[in-house]
Amino acid sequence: MVRFLIFLLFSAWAIVSAVGVVTFANPIYVILWLLSCLIAIAGIFFVAGAELVGALQLLIYAVAIAVFYVFVLTAVPWEKAVKKDSHYRTEGILSLPVVLLLYLEMIIVFLLGVVASPEGKFREAMAKIGNAEVVGSVLFTKYFFAFEVVSLVLLIGMIGAVLIGRKESQTYEDDTG
Amino acid sequence: MKTIPVEAYFVVSMILFGLGILGLVVRRNLITVLMSLEVALNAVNVAFVGADAHMGLVEGQIFALFIIALAAVEAAVGLGIIIAIFRYRYVESTDEITDMRG
Amino acid sequence: MEGLLVLISPLTAFLVLGLFGRRIGDLGSGIITAVAGFLSFIFSLAVIPRALEEPFQIKVYEFITVGEYTLEVGFYFDALSTITSAVVTLVASLIFIYSIGYMRHHFGRWTYKFYTYLNLFLFSMLLIVLSDNLLGIFFGWEGVGLASYLLIGYYHEQKKATDSALEAFVMNRIGDWLFVFGIITVFLIYRSLDIVEIFERVDTAESSLIGLATLLLFGGAVGKSGQVPLHTWLPNAMAGPTPVSALLHAATMVAAGVYMVARLYPLFEAAPQTLKVIVVIGSLTALFAALAATSHTDIKKIIAFSTMSQLGYMYIGLGVGDREGAMFHLSTHAFYKALLFLSAGSVITAFHHKEYDIYSFGGLRRYMPITYASFVVGALALAGIFPLSGFWSKDRLIGSYFEWSFAVGVLGVVVTFVTAYYIFREGFVVFHREKEYKEEVKEVGGVMTVPMVVLGVMSILVGLLEGWYMGVMGGRSGGIHVELAVITVVVGLVGIGVAYLVYVRGVIDPKVGYEALRGIHTTFREQFFTERFYHKILAWGYLSYSKILYTVGERQLIDGVVNGVAYITQSVGQGIRFLQGGKLNWYAVALSAGFGLLVVLMLALTVEGI
Repeated sequence: MVRFLIFLLFSAWAIVSAVGVVTFANPIYVILWLLSCLIAIAGIFFVAGAELVGALQLLIYAVAIAVFYVFVLTAVPWEKAVKKDSHYRTEGILSLPVVLLLYLEMIIVFLLGVVASPEGKFREAMAKIGNAEVVGSVLFTKYFFAFEVVSLVLLIGMIGAVLIGRKESQTYEDDTG
Repeated sequence: MKTIPVEAYFVVSMILFGLGILGLVVRRNLITVLMSLEVALNAVNVAFVGADAHMGLVEGQIFALFIIALAAVEAAVGLGIIIAIFRYRYVESTDEITDMRG
Repeated sequence: MEGLLVLISPLTAFLVLGLFGRRIGDLGSGIITAVAGFLSFIFSLAVIPRALEEPFQIKVYEFITVGEYTLEVGFYFDALSTITSAVVTLVASLIFIYSIGYMRHHFGRWTYKFYTYLNLFLFSMLLIVLSDNLLGIFFGWEGVGLASYLLIGYYHEQKKATDSALEAFVMNRIGDWLFVFGIITVFLIYRSLDIVEIFERVDTAESSLIGLATLLLFGGAVGKSGQVPLHTWLPNAMAGPTPVSALLHAATMVAAGVYMVARLYPLFEAAPQTLKVIVVIGSLTALFAALAATSHTDIKKIIAFSTMSQLGYMYIGLGVGDREGAMFHLSTHAFYKALLFLSAGSVITAFHHKEYDIYSFGGLRRYMPITYASFVVGALALAGIFPLSGFWSKDRLIGSYFEWSFAVGVLGVVVTFVTAYYIFREGFVVFHREKEYKEEVKEVGGVMTVPMVVLGVMSILVGLLEGWYMGVMGGRSGGIHVELAVITVVVGLVGIGVAYLVYVRGVIDPKVGYEALRGIHTTFREQFFTERFYHKILAWGYLSYSKILYTVGERQLIDGVVNGVAYITQSVGQGIRFLQGGKLNWYAVALSAGFGLLVVLMLALTVEGI
């Protein structure tokens, strides 16, 4: 019961932070709200018993990616965004039915999913040897190929980001001109 | 483990996802658009982990890990693109980037 | 094989000239054309003995398979088709040679086109003559129509010529339309288009159906042969070059109608009502055209009306059941009518293609003796004076008329009188009257006189072949009817005499005569106002009808729909252009909405599955 209360706490925190992400005008505040949201979600993961995912959420998301955003924000003049209107109101109103439609669909999918939910097979193993070990062993055995592919995607993404973000040389600009 | 009903995870996930989509649509600044996208991605992670906790599986968590990895890639590439656009155009809000006009 | 060569030689010439005519040059094109025509004639002669021995068919290839019936491209060689093709090719090749001289003033202005068309003309005519199925005949029929259109309008810088070409085309379309329906009816009756097959089964069909089919087919012949009421194009077709007129009237175009009826004669014989219609149309045309010819003054139009009149003779002959006589008259007529046209062409050439009115010529017998002699031979043959070719064929035809009905026979005799009068009226005015022009006139060159001389000799002698012709065609050979022959020759001589008295002796001043008989004169001249009727009533009515359709149907209805569609498209585009405005947020909305709809679709399918 306490666990559920903690879950509710983290959930409320995450939702409030997400609302902050969507509503605040200043990008600095938005980043802070995002950070808060990610930490809250990591809390939800811990409550759900997924320690490994929660830890990685904290390490990768809440630290690495958020810092990345901060870095980028220093590279572009975020002051401009503060001065201008930061939201599209028409689109926001128009998108509400779309979001509601998605909600509806998710509910239906969820209901269908409950009907078809398979029986758990790792419950006992998790109780015995802990969640992180089970996840790790499955990840590095059954999903090893996928794991390697993801690492490759990360490498490609890194190279791409460097290529896109680097400063163009002078000769290159002459060519385009 | 079973004290938290799976419906709760899904409700949280849905609310977060909807907020993420809403932010994706309404934000004017490109960086904040990307941040809203992160919120939506995390909402999916919550759903995966919640379902796992309910059913006693680990595949959802593995998927969540993959999503975190891909979110990192997405953030890296997306922010790189934003920097490149800004360097060439000196703009970073979506209403000024209209080169995709049909 | 030589049978096919008859067709292949003008076709090859047509293709060669059509593709390389500009390289070959105009004179070279003319020579190639003449050689091709002559080769075709040789091949026709070569195939005659075999065809007379035993009629045979050559199937070239299977064209279309419709249900159980396979349409084959094939050719049928019997006495009728081979002899007609020989006559056609001979006359045509002589005209081709003549045209080298006639068109000389036009060389250097892409005259190879003219020769290309001539070859197409001859090829199409041979297709009509030799085809063994109705569709093949129809192909040739349309080819002849096309070639005549191109040739009549050959002087396309003159409005008169293009108008005449268009008129010929339209009038022929009316006939062709009937002809197509005739072919369809025949197919519906017999389930076959092969004429040999049809002839074997003529009796199996109801006579009323055959009557309908033959009437429609005869409608095509009326259009092609310029019979009443589709006749107005024929005199106007004189706007083309004279060799074309000669070809049109002697060998290829107008003969096609008569030939077609003769070719399908077993069908027509099975429908006596149609034959009566043919007699009526033929009689009407024969009299009517002869009367019109008496009052015209255009050197070529008189001969054109004469052709109409003679074609009327042939149709009466076909109608009264004398197919062989009609075809024999067609052959002799081909020679002497070509001769008359070539003589007229010589006169026109001598006057540098400027004068066409017979009263602007005069006294030419002294300056152009060969042309004069040719014309006289042609005119005597046309008038049916013994012993020229026209006498033999006309005598036989009028004999057949009298056997069928006294009235038709009398009509034939009357028309003989009128014919003799009008053709000699033209001859006397052009060659005998005192000259009123200043310039020197010379006889035309050898390339033009030689074909005329050959045709003149043929016009005199070909009548002597009557016995042989009737023998091979399977017609009865009655010889000459002496009392009838005397009557027609006397009547012809009287006609010539009247013309002589009026136009040479000046017993009556022609101008005073015209004034006195102004009403009749105008009536004849205007072809009994038929042309005027077509132009003023039918064409005008159609034009007004078209105008109404244009203002209401076209401008309001169709334009309204078209513009409305454009307007709707434009407004929709204006309305939804913001979707493609390049705004990322809109794209995000659209992306989400599309995803949502896809999931809806998926769910619908899944739930259906459950």
